[in-house]
Amino acid sequence: MKEPTKIEEILLVAIWHLEKQAYGVKIRQYVSTIIEKQLTYGHLYSTLNQLVIKKFVTKSVGKPAARRLGRPRIYYSLTPEGIDALKAAQAMYEKLWSGISRHALEKVK
Amino acid sequence: MKKKILPPKIPGLLIELFAWYDDSYVVLGDVCEEYYEISESRGRTYAKLWFWKQCLKTFPVFINDFILWRMVMFKNYLKVALRTVRKQKGYAFINIAGLAVGMAACLLIFLWIHDELSYDMYHENADRIYRLTIDANMGTQMKVPVSPTPAGPAMVEEYPEVLRSARLTRPNRSPVIVGEKDYFEENVAFADNSLFAIFSFPFLEGDPKTALATAYSAVITQDIAKKYFGSESPIGKMIKFDGPNEYAIMGVVENVPKNSHFQFNILRSMETRYAEARDLMENWLAVSQYTYVLLDENADPKGFEQKLPAFIDKNMGAILKAYGASLVLHLQPLKRIHLHSDFPGDIAAQGDIRSVYLFAAIALFVLIIACINFVNLSTARSAIRAKEVGMRKTLGAVRHRLVGQFLGESVLYSMLSLILAVGLILAAMPWFNALLGRRLSLNILQVPWLIPGFIGLALIVGITAGSYPAFFLSSFHPVRVLRGRAKAGTQNLRFRRILVVVQFAISIVLIIGTMMIYKQLTYMKLKELGFDKEHVVVLPGLGGVMAASYDTMRNEFKNIQGVANVGASSMVPGQGITKSLFQPEGFAKEQSQPMDYRSIDPDYLATLEIDIVIGRNFSSDLATDKTESALINKTAADKFGWDDPIGKQFILDSDQSDQEGETRINVIGVVEDYHSTSLREKIDPMILFYDPTQCTTFSIRIAPTHIQKTLSLIRDKWKTILPQKPFDYFFLDDSFDSQYRAEERMGKLSLRFCLLAILIGCLGLFGMASYTTEQRTKEIGIRKVLGASTGLIVRLLSKEYIVLVAVGNLIAWPVAYFLIKSWLDNFAYRTSLALWVFVAAAALSLAVALLTVSYQSIKAAFSDPVKSLRYE
Repeated sequence: MKEPTKIEEILLVAIWHLEKQAYGVKIRQYVSTIIEKQLTYGHLYSTLNQLVIKKFVTKSVGKPAARRLGRPRIYYSLTPEGIDALKAAQAMYEKLWSGISRHALEKVK
Repeated sequence: MKKKILPPKIPGLLIELFAWYDDSYVVLGDVCEEYYEISESRGRTYAKLWFWKQCLKTFPVFINDFILWRMVMFKNYLKVALRTVRKQKGYAFINIAGLAVGMAACLLIFLWIHDELSYDMYHENADRIYRLTIDANMGTQMKVPVSPTPAGPAMVEEYPEVLRSARLTRPNRSPVIVGEKDYFEENVAFADNSLFAIFSFPFLEGDPKTALATAYSAVITQDIAKKYFGSESPIGKMIKFDGPNEYAIMGVVENVPKNSHFQFNILRSMETRYAEARDLMENWLAVSQYTYVLLDENADPKGFEQKLPAFIDKNMGAILKAYGASLVLHLQPLKRIHLHSDFPGDIAAQGDIRSVYLFAAIALFVLIIACINFVNLSTARSAIRAKEVGMRKTLGAVRHRLVGQFLGESVLYSMLSLILAVGLILAAMPWFNALLGRRLSLNILQVPWLIPGFIGLALIVGITAGSYPAFFLSSFHPVRVLRGRAKAGTQNLRFRRILVVVQFAISIVLIIGTMMIYKQLTYMKLKELGFDKEHVVVLPGLGGVMAASYDTMRNEFKNIQGVANVGASSMVPGQGITKSLFQPEGFAKEQSQPMDYRSIDPDYLATLEIDIVIGRNFSSDLATDKTESALINKTAADKFGWDDPIGKQFILDSDQSDQEGETRINVIGVVEDYHSTSLREKIDPMILFYDPTQCTTFSIRIAPTHIQKTLSLIRDKWKTILPQKPFDYFFLDDSFDSQYRAEERMGKLSLRFCLLAILIGCLGLFGMASYTTEQRTKEIGIRKVLGASTGLIVRLLSKEYIVLVAVGNLIAWPVAYFLIKSWLDNFAYRTSLALWVFVAAAALSLAVALLTVSYQSIKAAFSDPVKSLRYE
């Protein structure tokens, strides 16, 4: 199975978190607050596209809206592979960080 | 009301343009949605700024993706393009072959032009080398590329900006005797040692500083060294030329590059001439050598040229005054010699910038025709691609992506054509080289621009030829296209008609041009020259031995079986002219007239069958004929206004005759005008003297049968009379006709390219005809059902093309007329610009067009109406 990159991982978490509201605007805003800098739409869609190609997410087309110049929303949702990838990532992080407190890192500095 | 808060348009468009993947249309929606949110919470100005920032930042990522995405789509496009090629083999072949032939022709011509432009550029000092030319007025104006012999050295002495000067005699054919063996070598000349300091001729052996510094030394080229001495070193070896003296070989140089305006195989030292005829070398009136000067880096050639009148005045003023003549020296830049000089009697046949322009134009035309073809065929086949376009559009393809696809396809075609074209060039190269007498090659090392140039050309051709079909094809409306047959609009049809007219106009100009070149060539070959050039064997290069063995040779040759007549002369027609000033009776000395002069013997006129109009021929019985008689030609008699020329006199002063004081020469007869040079030049006044000792050639008229046998008899006789001299001969008609080699080449070349243009044009026409007949299948079916005859339908389908060709003719005629007229003006004697040539070209173009179209129209006319009406 393909490994998600870090930004892909973040997007996967965001999509899982947003559930039914996982479309462009919401994902971008959510991720921007998490990473504490503005994610551009170019970057967002480029990454979402990769996720689609890697089959971690599927898309479904919503209704067009006037506020969107008549363009539909595209909602993303996790596939079983996507969930597996998240689980694997979480397990890895737990192993990776086990026993290291934030305090410990500050001391090194 | 909503309009007021619409987001800015431009950045949105940018996003649209560069978002190449599936969801691109969603992106703008997202940005807009957020824009409204922000404008509600933080005001419109902030929102606008945010919008701009968002779009601009999106840009680089999209471009990155765009490239990635293109790779995927490119595969699809390539697949479709190759599938199209496979599915429509015939049309793909016509398209690719047409383009390939056009490109090959174009590239070949540009290789040739590149070679023409490269002349003399390889010399290190090329920018600072100048040739002295003179513009002299001696009765008539004459411009020649030679200069007074002492001028070069005097210039170096008097002007510091002239670093060096070197003189060169006209390279010519000379016998060369190496030990026991004898050879004939072309391009043997005398040169100053400084020649090697001015020009860059790399030495393989010997020292360039001293190689030609002493009398009786010589420098040979690599090829000659190999030919004479094999692998031995030639340095210090002795060779002989036409005289008794031996020359020591002091140097071997690399072969002179083909793109040099003068060629030499052997150079003899100019010092030899000083040793043998010092007074001639110091004579300012001796004007026969080519002088090259090397100017200082800081010298201003224009400014230096201003000083030249003073230079001439100082050195030649007195002599010029005595003759009432004037002489102006000019500097001719080395780089301009090959293409921009137009001197009679230049050092070798030079190129002509006009023919460079002419062939560049032809190359461009052939290429344009090929491109037009491509456009025509692609648009004509549009019906087939229309469904694909409709499908792609329905599935979300945007127009500019389709444009990209079709442009890419035409670039693919042109790249395939390029590969084919390179193959064609390689195949045609030997033939092309033979035709032009060149050694062109597809050598990347020699011509570094070759690969980028070729690919660049393929790209340009692909994009120009592909752009119209691309925009046309991508404009199809998906609904209309998918519902039924795509009907090409009338505008498209008109556009293609214009293209066909242009194509035909170009072809017709080429046809007329080619026909006129051949007409002029035939005219020149068949024109009464005033003498009979057929079956005359010329034995040249007898200058040294004539005085001693004229009588023996004449008598012995005359007795050979098959020889009709033998005559001696100083030159035969086609070898050039020798001019000098003569003072005819009734003219002052200052009004002396330039005349072409020759020495002949009494049999010469009869041998060449030159008629005597008035008076009598020279007679060997009259001793006075040799000293005080002359023949003139009709032009001379007319020019001097002599109604009764017999007994008129020329006054020769001591300079021109052996005796002291003044000599008078009586005119004893007038010969018919004959052409002693090509028909480009007018016939000059001519004077003939009876002096066998000054003759250098024997002309022998032989019977038209057993030519080989007679020749071998002449050779045997020669061996017994002149055992030391190698036998050399040529046929008068060959050598005279060789003056038209440039025109012949031009004729052959334009004939070939004309045929190519017609061929490519026909391919295009064929494609277009097949398209229109296809479009009218139903109409033809209905007409047949209603009783139209086959002939009627063929006529109906062909009518349109007749009109197109007729319009093409109307455009082509005036263009061809002016082009040909200006070309014919180069010839003093020229054929008429006959109307029938134009009519023939028109007929030819019509016939070719009808033949091409008839295949399609006859096929359509014979087709079964049931089948054509049944579909749908």
